[in-house]
Amino acid sequence: MKKIRKPDLAVIGAGPAGLAAALAARKAGLKDILLIDRDFELGGILQQCIHDGFGSMVFKEVLTGPQYAQRFIDEIAGTDIEIMLSTMVLDLRADRLITAVNSRDGMVEIQPKSLVLAMGCRERSRHQIMIPGFRPAGVITAGAAQRDINIDGIMPGRKLVILGSGDIGLIMARRFTLEGAQVEGVYELMDHPGGLTRNVVQCLNDFDIPLHLSHTVSFIHGRRRVSGVTVAAVDESLKTIPSTERFVPCDTLCLSVGLIPENELSKHAGVQLDPVTAGPFVDERMETSVEGVFACGNVVNVFDLVDYVTKSAQSAGLGAAEYVMTGRKREGGIRVEPGRNVKYVVPQFISDPSRDVDFYFRVEHPEKAVTARVIAGAEEVTKKKHRMVRPPEMLQSTASGERLTASGEPSKITVEVIGSDEQA
Amino acid sequence: MDMHDGNELPATAAVVIIGAGISGCSIAREVVKHTPDVVILEKETDVADATTKANNAEVHSGIGEKYGTLKQKLNVRGNLLYDSFVEGLGIPLKRQGLMIVITPRTLPENYTRWLPKRTVAWLLRKVVPRLILRNGRKKGIPGLRALTAEEIFTMEPHVTKNAVAGVFDPTYGLVSPYKLTIALAENCVLNGARVFLSTEVTGIKVQNGKVTGVVTDRGEIAAPIVVNAAGVFADEIAEMAGAGGFKIHPRKGASLLFDRDITADYVRSSVAEFRMFRKGSSKGGGAMPTAEGNLQLGPTAIETDDKHDTSISAEEIQEIFDRFYYLLPDFPRSAMISAFSGIRAPTEDEDFIIGASEAVAGFVNVAGIQSPGLAAAPAIAEMVIGILQGLGVPREERADYDPVRPAPPKFSELSNEERDRLIERDPRYGHVICRCEQITEGEVVDAIHSVIPARTMDAVKRRTRVGMGRCQGGFCGYRAAEILAREWGIPVTEVTKDGDGSWVFAGETKSFEVAEDSAVPGGDES
Repeated sequence: MKKIRKPDLAVIGAGPAGLAAALAARKAGLKDILLIDRDFELGGILQQCIHDGFGSMVFKEVLTGPQYAQRFIDEIAGTDIEIMLSTMVLDLRADRLITAVNSRDGMVEIQPKSLVLAMGCRERSRHQIMIPGFRPAGVITAGAAQRDINIDGIMPGRKLVILGSGDIGLIMARRFTLEGAQVEGVYELMDHPGGLTRNVVQCLNDFDIPLHLSHTVSFIHGRRRVSGVTVAAVDESLKTIPSTERFVPCDTLCLSVGLIPENELSKHAGVQLDPVTAGPFVDERMETSVEGVFACGNVVNVFDLVDYVTKSAQSAGLGAAEYVMTGRKREGGIRVEPGRNVKYVVPQFISDPSRDVDFYFRVEHPEKAVTARVIAGAEEVTKKKHRMVRPPEMLQSTASGERLTASGEPSKITVEVIGSDEQA
Repeated sequence: MDMHDGNELPATAAVVIIGAGISGCSIAREVVKHTPDVVILEKETDVADATTKANNAEVHSGIGEKYGTLKQKLNVRGNLLYDSFVEGLGIPLKRQGLMIVITPRTLPENYTRWLPKRTVAWLLRKVVPRLILRNGRKKGIPGLRALTAEEIFTMEPHVTKNAVAGVFDPTYGLVSPYKLTIALAENCVLNGARVFLSTEVTGIKVQNGKVTGVVTDRGEIAAPIVVNAAGVFADEIAEMAGAGGFKIHPRKGASLLFDRDITADYVRSSVAEFRMFRKGSSKGGGAMPTAEGNLQLGPTAIETDDKHDTSISAEEIQEIFDRFYYLLPDFPRSAMISAFSGIRAPTEDEDFIIGASEAVAGFVNVAGIQSPGLAAAPAIAEMVIGILQGLGVPREERADYDPVRPAPPKFSELSNEERDRLIERDPRYGHVICRCEQITEGEVVDAIHSVIPARTMDAVKRRTRVGMGRCQGGFCGYRAAEILAREWGIPVTEVTKDGDGSWVFAGETKSFEVAEDSAVPGGDES
């Protein structure tokens, strides 16, 4: 083993979150920064997202995934940020000791003064949603299919059923169709689509691909390759209704059934995870429960827009720089509570309420004509009206530190979504 | 892709073994100690590719088998032989033990409802453990001891607080059934035996009441001794020889597998709830760690009439959940990463059928090998070699027999220093392609060029664990296929999951004919 390298900051993962965090820390004046990724190029999952729709907030223009990533990659190229590609982090300890491996250097140990976790998320697989049936070739997750087609230039199937209407599933329905494959339909367990409305319109409606809400796949057929699936409607408790079962011939079942923040390393380091988001508890600087360890992007919770990933990463990068350069220590922490029709809020804690904070939150169920509010103590800090809110679409509110502390330091902060007429 | 690697079948062999499962390969290894002239024929694309691969890895002690049956005797004997059986193969055997848990459900209500509560409690706490101990000792199982409820909770904190007593059987072990079978087959080949995969036996040649050879879909082999270890198809093979008269009725067993990171040490031993007077021919399954450390629940026991039915139904999954919610009330349901199902090969009378055919000289049946077939394997091999020696296999051991099968390196189990040395020798060991199980490109290449080469995605997976982790191949799928294609010199579109018909990729992008109406999907099926 080589000598332990001790940079000011190490960032694990060079997707949109890692790139932005490293850059933000560099701009804040941090010197020795190391960016580690397991892939052979920077950009993470954005490189396979060749559709557009990225960047409307951060760049005020609409970019493809690779274009969005390239803006950051170009900027990084102009800095002295060190990049370690094709490198897999194998282990992480609470004292920030990273054990990693690559073909060039062999085993490497890195113990940075600060650390940003930016590993993103992974897809849920077939058995996590317990689809019965055989185990043939041809059951694939939508993100893996996207990589096959857009990076490796290979088609995982000809005739598909897609289960799950998350954004990747919707985008892949269109992508498969454009490649000449047949998409029989998209089936969604819930009574509302899992992805953004714009993706339902642009990826399904525009291509006449049917979306079957309140449906699921109840059996996978085929011993060697998928020969078809049984689909069925589900009742209110999401159980299949046997009388509605029908066989759909296909050679591929493509799953878009949710993403899980990739926190195996975080757990090794003893980072406390929020059971609701499956990501670390963080404060407004995206610092986790372990001192000097920050987290951002989809490792914290699965964001819907890359722009939010970037913003959360900028907070984390700044936080890490500040931690190293000023020795800022976190004190106390005000709990941020999800109020009415709010499933969760990130950050979950506020360490310093005198700063401006971006709150990201999701509703529990769809609702029309609502107001989203941030309340500090008894004071309303922000309020924003929405015509319609849906669980897949993340809500965001920026609260100024001035307002948060208008009546002194609040004992708790609540984020709630209320009917516009219920408003106090 | 050519699954035969261009090898021709030999014209003759001293012994032909049909079936490269745990039984066939264990027997082959005994035979090869005495003669190198052994041929193993397997119709699947890999060894251990049928019933063996779905076995739940337990080396039973024999406590659950009916006293006096052949499988009970061979199980107890097999368990005893296991440590020496795996020696030299590079396959870990773990003796985790079995905890038999007695709960209020142990005695069915219709037996106990007329008894005073205190009597039932006494029966459960005092009498039932003694019955289990006596029953086990009669079968010759060493080391059994009774457990109090407190001991149970100390040893296995997740077991239901309803547990009243128990018995610990320290001889229960765990071994990877497919890795063991692969290692056995490789050791055979290194000692001169030959294994032919994707080779289906279509007939048995018999002359004047003596077996003279086998007919396959690739040609014939003349042989004076043929061993039928064909698993669920053993009855059909025996019929071909005219040495049948038994029927295999397939019985499905489904198991659930959980994320290792979440369930490591969830149970330390195998844990089973003891239920008396229950119908059925299964031991009832249990919760157990796998050889790799995942929690596993199952198996079920469901009769089927299809020898290929390895599906798992919603009802089976629910049945397993229901059963284990009681035994392990807090088990991490959401950490399930896989469900799989295999076909057991029982005969009508549920016992093993092992012996030289009386009708056809030289033909030996090894049939009806269901659980505890893995545990009994060393004893089955020991019994069969005795039979074969009676038929002409030399009794003396070869001087040049080498019991060692060199195991390829496992990156995830090495120290950092060992890893560094390995990467220095071959940088491909520094390229991790499976993030969940930390498997490197070097290990995949090793599997592809191993003694029994991996030709399919599943074969690579069984040898390396690529794709067996929590993401179930989402990250590594294409990477593994790409390496297979490169090493075999085939286009990636020819890579299969498990042989013919199990194609993985439909073609390259832009290779599909785009129909005029492609924007109207559903096509002829909608």
